[in-house]
Amino acid sequence: MKVEFWGQEFKVNMFVGCLGGFLIAIMSSMFGFGGGPFMVPLMTVFLRLPMYLVVGSSLLAIFFNTSMSTMRHYQFGNFDWILFCAMFPAALLAGFIGPKIAQRLSPIVVKRVACVGLIILALSLLGVF
Amino acid sequence: MNSKGMGKSWIFAAAFLLASAGLAVAAENAPAQQAESAAPAAAAVATEAVQAEAVAAASGPVSIEFDGNATINNGGTIKVKGKAPAGQPVFLEVWAEGHDVRANRFDKDPDPKTGVRPYIFYLTEHMPAYFKIFAPTTMQDKIDAEKKKGGKWSMSNIIKELGADAAYNAPAEAPIKAYKSSFIASIIGSRGELLSDAPDRRRSMQLTKARFRDLDKVVAAQVNVAADGNFTAEIPMRKGIAPGEYQIVAHVDKATKSAPITFTNQTNFPTVYLTNAGTSMNLIYPFFLTLAVTIFGVLMGAGGGFILNPLLVTLFPMLPHTIVAGTVTPTVLFSQGSGIYNYSKIKFISWKLGIGIGLAMLAGGFIGPKLTEMITLAQFKSAFGYILLVLAALMFWQTTPGYLAKNKKEQAILKEFKKRAEEAAANK
Repeated sequence: MKVEFWGQEFKVNMFVGCLGGFLIAIMSSMFGFGGGPFMVPLMTVFLRLPMYLVVGSSLLAIFFNTSMSTMRHYQFGNFDWILFCAMFPAALLAGFIGPKIAQRLSPIVVKRVACVGLIILALSLLGVF
Repeated sequence: MNSKGMGKSWIFAAAFLLASAGLAVAAENAPAQQAESAAPAAAAVATEAVQAEAVAAASGPVSIEFDGNATINNGGTIKVKGKAPAGQPVFLEVWAEGHDVRANRFDKDPDPKTGVRPYIFYLTEHMPAYFKIFAPTTMQDKIDAEKKKGGKWSMSNIIKELGADAAYNAPAEAPIKAYKSSFIASIIGSRGELLSDAPDRRRSMQLTKARFRDLDKVVAAQVNVAADGNFTAEIPMRKGIAPGEYQIVAHVDKATKSAPITFTNQTNFPTVYLTNAGTSMNLIYPFFLTLAVTIFGVLMGAGGGFILNPLLVTLFPMLPHTIVAGTVTPTVLFSQGSGIYNYSKIKFISWKLGIGIGLAMLAGGFIGPKLTEMITLAQFKSAFGYILLVLAALMFWQTTPGYLAKNKKEQAILKEFKKRAEEAAANK
């Protein structure tokens, strides 16, 4: 498929894009996360698209997945209003505070800290310690 | 790549996925309607039977009364005393009245005789939010023996070992829906064909384990029985249980039991009972946890869900993982929506690309939540562990010098294009 974006044309292998998106969607809706950190590498590395095309479009693609999985979780009765009401304002608030802190921190340091934190969390989930 | 051929094929693929999604919705609605009409009738019969038995047993040889307060505040200790025929074990059955939760289990263990895997999904909406059997203190060794099996303990086995069959009633009355799952049904996100919708004692024991998970949550040795048949018990009620009324019945055997007595558990804001999760919780904890995790998520450029979900299931063991996944998902909807709006204002979204891949993701999002129900908490945790390892690897890759050099160029181009886009939007 050909995609035109700001005067440039890109060839996109939609088979790889859709298959990858489909699998990422199953995983992310099953475990309840967004999926952005997987979608962006899929589109930049496997589809070889430039970052400036990917930032907005991947968000749009993920939005489809999140709305559908929200509906389905709700349909199965796996949605709790009260818990949602406790978490949602916190998520909104974080959306305002987060970017302000981000300006003062080096993204590389944050990512390395995140990397260590994720490994610790992963190992504790896997029951290593 | 042959982009023309690809272009056509992906449109067909998307159309197929949409059509199958529609079919699945239709398939799911049909059995649900039948089930709804059957459930109230069964429940009504069950309550009548309980009341009739209670009246009959009131004059029986077993009595039980409170030895002190009949009210607790978000957990606490309830003292009871009573009398039973001498030389007999006494079991106290305690359950939450009026607060039911959902329990489900996917049976894929091969049949020991035939080796056939049944693939049946069992679901009940009427598991009591609290259920526990208190056995005589002399039976502690039997509970310890079952506990040694770790995650492989079985409700039916411990009841058999204790001889507490008479005290297992409240969960057994719940109607259980059994769905025959098939590969195709799972693919289109359906629960499958409804096989039955009736109480089932054996299945209810498996569901009791699926719901409460820990042996400690459903049995304990707490009843002191004297030689003359007098008994006393201090019943510890944990924090986080549902508010409202709880019933206690003392059982000796199938025919011999006391009339129920009722005590009340109170909870005060900010501790609130979560109806779907079936647990009371201080809402301040999830609020600050979400705040901290989501801020960190913004900093590292990944949504908070990756960290929030595993932390929630680890820190609050009574929250079912299905509820966690189902409630965290919608919290990110809004930030995604506002992000899309901001990008679309400056025309920085390729709708063709986003919708194209979005349709495939729509289908994936249809299937995923079904699969959440089919896995146990242990599987949820370990799968999440591997996902986080992959994510950690991705994060590490993004800090390697090669990536950074490339990213610097990309970011510069991104900025340049964004500036142009913003100017174009402003000039209109």
